[in-house]
Amino acid sequence: MSAIDNIIYQSVVYLAPVLLCVLGGIFAYKANVLNIALEGMMMAGAFVSMLAANLTNSLPAAYLSAFAVCMALGLVFSVLGVTLKGNVIVIGLAINMLVPAVAGFIMKIMSVPSITWSEFSTSSIVLNIPVIQNIPLLGPILSGHPPITYVAYLMIAVMSVLMYQTRFGIHVRVVGESEDTAVSLGLKTNMYKIAAILIGAGCCALAGINLSLERLSLYTNNMTAGRGFIAIAAIYCGRGKPLSCTLYAVLFSLANALAEYFSLQVSASLLLKVVPYVVMVAVLTAASIINRRKVRVRGAFSEH
Amino acid sequence: MKTKGQNNHLGVKALNSVLPVILAFVIGGVIIAAIGENPLTAYQVMIQRSLFSVRGLTRTLQLAAPLLLSGMAIAICFKANIFNMGIEGQLIFGGFMAGIVGNCLVDMNPAAHKLICFAVGILCGMAFALIPALLRAYFHVDEMVVTLVLNYAMARVLEYLASVVFRDAGAGYVATPPVQDSAKFFLIGTTRLTPFLFISVIIFAVMAFVMTKTKLGYTITALGKNPSFAEATGLRSRRTIIVLMLISGALAGVAGTGQMLAEKTFYTLDFSGSPGLGWDGMLIALLGRHTPGGIVVAALFYSALKTGSEAIGLYANVPNEIVAVIQSLMILFLAIQFFDERYGLTERLKEKLAAQKAGSEEGRA
Repeated sequence: MSAIDNIIYQSVVYLAPVLLCVLGGIFAYKANVLNIALEGMMMAGAFVSMLAANLTNSLPAAYLSAFAVCMALGLVFSVLGVTLKGNVIVIGLAINMLVPAVAGFIMKIMSVPSITWSEFSTSSIVLNIPVIQNIPLLGPILSGHPPITYVAYLMIAVMSVLMYQTRFGIHVRVVGESEDTAVSLGLKTNMYKIAAILIGAGCCALAGINLSLERLSLYTNNMTAGRGFIAIAAIYCGRGKPLSCTLYAVLFSLANALAEYFSLQVSASLLLKVVPYVVMVAVLTAASIINRRKVRVRGAFSEH
Repeated sequence: MKTKGQNNHLGVKALNSVLPVILAFVIGGVIIAAIGENPLTAYQVMIQRSLFSVRGLTRTLQLAAPLLLSGMAIAICFKANIFNMGIEGQLIFGGFMAGIVGNCLVDMNPAAHKLICFAVGILCGMAFALIPALLRAYFHVDEMVVTLVLNYAMARVLEYLASVVFRDAGAGYVATPPVQDSAKFFLIGTTRLTPFLFISVIIFAVMAFVMTKTKLGYTITALGKNPSFAEATGLRSRRTIIVLMLISGALAGVAGTGQMLAEKTFYTLDFSGSPGLGWDGMLIALLGRHTPGGIVVAALFYSALKTGSEAIGLYANVPNEIVAVIQSLMILFLAIQFFDERYGLTERLKEKLAAQKAGSEEGRA
């Protein structure tokens, strides 16, 4: 594989979970219940899928239990944040802390430093697409990935349609933009918010499974390493629009893959790992300047 | 009548802080029982080891020193609706640089050396807080996302500095060389206290005064209650954001320096512990409801938990991760108000009954 193909392949490896989090998170963003628990939910998906795989030796059980646990976390988030009107940022942070704590506790009881599944090889679920896999540039994007990566690609279209072409998507956006209007129209605003959170939770489950089970067949604590927050940065930059958020996610993944690639080439290259984060702050700033260029507002706190 | 109402008000506030703690401990107890240990014994070990021995109690007090500061750093921003999540990054940066200065300067007067270390720690904390503050104030970049991202960036930078530039060649793992004796805080007598505790308490008292008695404190409250109104009445919000973030960064810097000089003496990758002093500060600020008195109680409670968690793994056969589980459950439940704080309990009940009555009458009509 050539160097460029390698970088593209690594970008896709990094992109898939981030993209799923982004596409799941935009609904909550649009419904005005910012879900910063994406990181914790993804970690839960990663942990539970590996735990279930390790205990039951069954691939479907791993997928299903990860999905179920993430949905349960989404429900906890919804009940506390929407039904009981708690502070969603604090709830999100709590979930982000709870998941590694519980995972650490369980791994301590099992007395293992990480969870593996020895009877499974990740190459067995990789889909190699004939002909396409030999095309440079396109090959590493489209071929040689586990199933959920393709689901992530598919989700770009699904979520765009869901957001803009369906009644559900329009209602979610109405709820986020003006809750009073939504109430006066007779919409059950809480239902839409909860649905938005649960979509995010489901996508995070997929992201987690992709990250741990499908790619590495390994879970170590905190292996998500801030991907959930990168997803949130992408959502902010793209202001919740599926396509532009996807572009930002691609940009961040590419920055990450480039940094990883060059850090293997250069000696003493740990510093390169800072680059993706610096890129993110720069892009966030640029996006904010562009988005607000035509808006004149008083003070620093007014919203629009 | 009025005083009674206010008493109720306080009661509800206290209940809202205590109930999440109890709930978290009950769930923690269920988990301990599920792995076949006795939760009461485990909790008893925690309490005994953290509060009912001179060593344990002084250790608890000492551990509270950086927590008071990081809790205050969070409270001062959160109360004004500025979600500065960067305390962790500012704290480790301040601590790291203070540690480098503490190591590089030799043959120093102990007091002067410590003073320089603190100055460096504070400046570094403030400098790192200035980035998100300027971005927020002038470009409207969401401070929460930026500070979260910058925490990761700082962790990477320090990992690089610790493993390449300032690496202690003698250590078998990634670590910086320890600070000189002239920069270290030593234990007082047979206790486990260091002078850093008193420094921390003094700074905390000053900040408590600022928060409750000065114009800046009033501004914070005004921004927290209604930012648009505060701006409409002429508050210079840009300047306030920057000032608050800088104060918060300085507090984080002091906390980090103290952690370095009194506790760790050299930087390792788990310098700030897990989940980190900055995140601990968030729990403390929330638990203390952003009030100075509340933060003191919360910081002491939390450091008792920490001392207890050191003991629980040793003496009770329960993995000490259980304490992290209990902590995060606490934050989860603290996010919701179990009872509305604007009313006392009795008023709420009356209102509910009245509403029910009205509802049933409406139904009949």
